[in-house]
Amino acid sequence: MNNKTIPGTNVTEINVNKNSKGSTTRNNNPDNNISETQFDKKLLQAMKVPVSDDLYNKLMLRQTFASHQQKKRKSRIHLALAASVAIIASLTVHYLHFSSSYTTLGDYALAHVYHEQDAFSNNDTNRVSLTSLNKKMATFNGNVSQSLGELISADYCRFGGIKSLHLVYKGLTDNVTVFIVSKEEHLAFTANFSDNTLQGESLGFANANVIIIADKNESLSQWQRNINSNITWSI
Amino acid sequence: MANKQIRYEALVKALHGDLYRYGYWLTHDKQVAEDLVQETFLRAWRALDSLKDEKAAKSWLITILRRENARRFERKRFEMSEYDEANIMDTQSPSNEQDIENHWLRDKIAKLPSEYSEPLVLQVLGGYSGEDIANMLNLNKNTVMTRLFRARNQLKDALEKEPEKMRFLYE
Repeated sequence: MNNKTIPGTNVTEINVNKNSKGSTTRNNNPDNNISETQFDKKLLQAMKVPVSDDLYNKLMLRQTFASHQQKKRKSRIHLALAASVAIIASLTVHYLHFSSSYTTLGDYALAHVYHEQDAFSNNDTNRVSLTSLNKKMATFNGNVSQSLGELISADYCRFGGIKSLHLVYKGLTDNVTVFIVSKEEHLAFTANFSDNTLQGESLGFANANVIIIADKNESLSQWQRNINSNITWSI
Repeated sequence: MANKQIRYEALVKALHGDLYRYGYWLTHDKQVAEDLVQETFLRAWRALDSLKDEKAAKSWLITILRRENARRFERKRFEMSEYDEANIMDTQSPSNEQDIENHWLRDKIAKLPSEYSEPLVLQVLGGYSGEDIANMLNLNKNTVMTRLFRARNQLKDALEKEPEKMRFLYE
């Protein structure tokens, strides 16, 4: 830097020459006159005030902290993003899974039966006892006095987001499914429903709706009578 | 990220001295100059990706520093105190003739009006042309040339008159 000629200096030189050609003679003592380069050197030397040795370290230190903060902020943002995505994803799944895309009890019951069709077979040999069924029925304030048939499975399940009990009985040719569903507003009650293979009936009781679904070989009215006479509801 | 780190380190290493000196001549205060340089490099770090041309780094940093300095006045307009003349100089006693002259010349530079000293510092320390300086300071090139000329003349005049006295004083 010291020996570098400084751009712009030449212009100044011209100016100085112009000046000295003019009438005002600033430097009439030639011994005391200094050349432009000498002057520049002196200026540069004077302007080069000492820089504290620490400054470089301080700058690096500040930067380290700053970038650390930045990273932390970034990872926080990433975490927040991940969390939001997870929440949205789970909401979507939940919505799709339990959405009320079915508007009636019947539609939903049919869909539910088809969904779990493969889980039960009419030839299943395990049976659920009346006692354990009644334990579960207690949730709905109901009691089954006499077995309605051979009970293959009895489990709580979600019925369009409504708490329900899913009973699978052995039928003549295929399972007979009985749902005990808490009374809720958001699925419309449908007394009779059917499609090509299945038929169903809903019975409204004080505490719950009972939905019976079976294939077309089954007599639903028989099942209905059975349920009416064997299930008692306490308040 | 690692690449950015390396660029930053190189930038600090190469330019922190000049930047500090520039800050010093702008503020006449070592501490304030250091603070300015720190602020400047911190901002530079955050905006490092926007610096495409390494050659422009110095003027980029100087621009940031000038802005920081202006901000300092906005922020602390009422806290600012007049700088102490004694504060301007290094406290260490001059050890040889060269130091004495530097010392003396620094005093003279510091006493220049800032509109004169700033272009001069940019010219001498930064090695910028009159046109560059005009761009950096948002001034007309002719204005810059005039100020440079006057600043240099004032200092030269002083230098040509004073050294005899100085030598006499210190010998």
